[in-house]
Amino acid sequence: MKRTVDVSIPIGPIHPCFKEPARVKCETKGEFVLSAEVELGYMKKGIERIMRGRPWQEVMFLAERVCGICSVIHNMVFIEALEQMSAIFVPDRAALLRVIVNELDRMQSHILANFSYCYTIEHETLAMYLLDVREQVMDELERITGARVTCAYIVPGGVRFDLRHEDALHLKANLAAIEGEVVRYMHMFESGPLIALRSRGIGVLTREAALEAYAVGPTARASGMPEVDRRLRHPTYKTLGFSPVSRTEGDNYARIMVRFQEVLESIGIIRRCLDMLPEGPIRGGGIPGAGEISYSGEAPRGELSYFVKTDAAGRVLDISIQTPSIMNIEACCHYMLKGVTSLADVPSTFVSADPCIACTER
Amino acid sequence: MSLLQSVKNLVRSHSIHVAYVDVGSCNGCDIEVLACLSPRYDIEQYGIYVHNNPREADILLVIGAYTPGWEEKLHTLWEKIPDPKAAIAIGNCPISGCLFNRPHSLVDPPVSKHIPIAAEVPGCPPRPTEILSAVLSLAPLVFKDYEVAKR
Repeated sequence: MKRTVDVSIPIGPIHPCFKEPARVKCETKGEFVLSAEVELGYMKKGIERIMRGRPWQEVMFLAERVCGICSVIHNMVFIEALEQMSAIFVPDRAALLRVIVNELDRMQSHILANFSYCYTIEHETLAMYLLDVREQVMDELERITGARVTCAYIVPGGVRFDLRHEDALHLKANLAAIEGEVVRYMHMFESGPLIALRSRGIGVLTREAALEAYAVGPTARASGMPEVDRRLRHPTYKTLGFSPVSRTEGDNYARIMVRFQEVLESIGIIRRCLDMLPEGPIRGGGIPGAGEISYSGEAPRGELSYFVKTDAAGRVLDISIQTPSIMNIEACCHYMLKGVTSLADVPSTFVSADPCIACTER
Repeated sequence: MSLLQSVKNLVRSHSIHVAYVDVGSCNGCDIEVLACLSPRYDIEQYGIYVHNNPREADILLVIGAYTPGWEEKLHTLWEKIPDPKAAIAIGNCPISGCLFNRPHSLVDPPVSKHIPIAAEVPGCPPRPTEILSAVLSLAPLVFKDYEVAKR
C-alpha cells in the first residue's frame, strides 16, 4: 500500500514543554503519527575533548557538569572508576553517605521528570505540588553537601563532608514529610480520570521493543525489565537489600508511576542507610594512578558508563562517556512515538521518557 | 508624561513575560530557572510569567556557553521578540564560558558577542532567588518610560 504523508511537523527546539532544545520531526497523516525523528546537536560542547590530557582533579569537576540534573551520579561513577582502577579503600561510613546523597539526587531528578510530564499534559496543579516537594529534597541535598546542584561531594577515598547528628535527625524528619506528600500526589496521579485519558495506553513500548531498542532505566523498567537496574551490581547497594520497581504496561502512565514508586524506594534506601550508618572516618587514603577501566552505575535515567584511561600521574589520557538518554531517545522516536494517535501526545510521550539533552550531547 | 505612558508603565510593571533559551549549558541553570516556578519562590506573584514563547516575551533568559548549533538561530530568536526587550545571561557559561571555555572545546562565549545582554547573573548555577531578583531589578530600568527614552 502506498504510504501517504500529509505533513512533516517539526516540534522544537524552543518549545514551551521542553526544558532543553531538541527537535522532534513527525510525519503525520491527519493527527496520526506515522514516524518520528529526533534531531540533536544544539548542546554539543565537546566535554570529552576538554577532559583529555587533564589531571583527574580537573576532570572530576568537568564530569559533574556533563549533566546538571544528575550531577551526583556522574561524579560518583567517575570517582568509583578511579578507585577500582587504583584499589583505593573507601570507609563504610563514606560508602553509605555516597548512597544517601545519590538517592536524594535520584529523588529530585524523578520528581522533576514527573513535574515536566504533568506540566506537559497541562495538569499544572499537580506539577506545582511536585515542584514544591522537589524544593524540600533540594534543601536536604544542600544541607548535606553544601550546594544545590553541582556539589562535588564525592572524592577518591571518601566524601567531602561528614553527616552531623542533627542533620541526620533533620533528614529523617523531612523524609517522613516528603514521603507523605509523594504518596498523596501518587494517588492523585493514579486516580485522576483526565490524567488517565492522556496517559494510559499512549506511547506504548512493549518488552520486545524495549529489548530491541536497548532501553534503560525507568523507561525499561516500565516495560517489565527490572533486571536493567545497575544498582543490583553495586557493592554498597547489595548490602541494603532493595528490589527494583517494575511495571508491565509500558505506556506513559507506567513510566511516571515507576518514577513515583522509585522515589518511595529511594526514601526506604536512605532510611536503611541512616540506620546502618557506623561511626568512623569518612576518608580513606590513596592517589589515583595509571590504569584503564570501564565502569557503570545507575543514573536516574538508566545505565551510565565511563571508560577511563589514566597515566601514572593521574592524568586522563582517554575518556568516553555513555549516557542513558541516548538509548531512551532512540526507543522513544522509533517505538513510542510511532502510532501515537494525536499530535498533542507527541511532546508528552517524548517528555515521559525523560530525555536529558545536555547529557546526550555533552 | 502623558496619561498613555503612565498606563503603559503601570501595566508593564505587573506583567513580565519570560522566555528562556539554552544555548549549551549543563542543564543546572535550566533547572534553577524552572525552580523559580515552584510555590516556594512563586515567580507569578510578581507578575512574571514563564512562557517560553519568544513572540510574546519581554525578557529572554540566556543559559549556556553558545554552541555552534545556535549560530544564526539565536539572533533570529532575538529578533522575533517584540520591543521593548532585554536579555539576561544566567550563570557563568554565557558570561565567560565557565569551565567549558578551554582549548579544544566547541563553545564560543561570551553570548554578548552575539546578542546584546542587559544583565548578568554569575554563579554555577545561581540560586533561584538571584535569578528572580535580577529579573525584578532589570524590568523597571528597561520598561519604565520606554517610549520617552526612545525619543
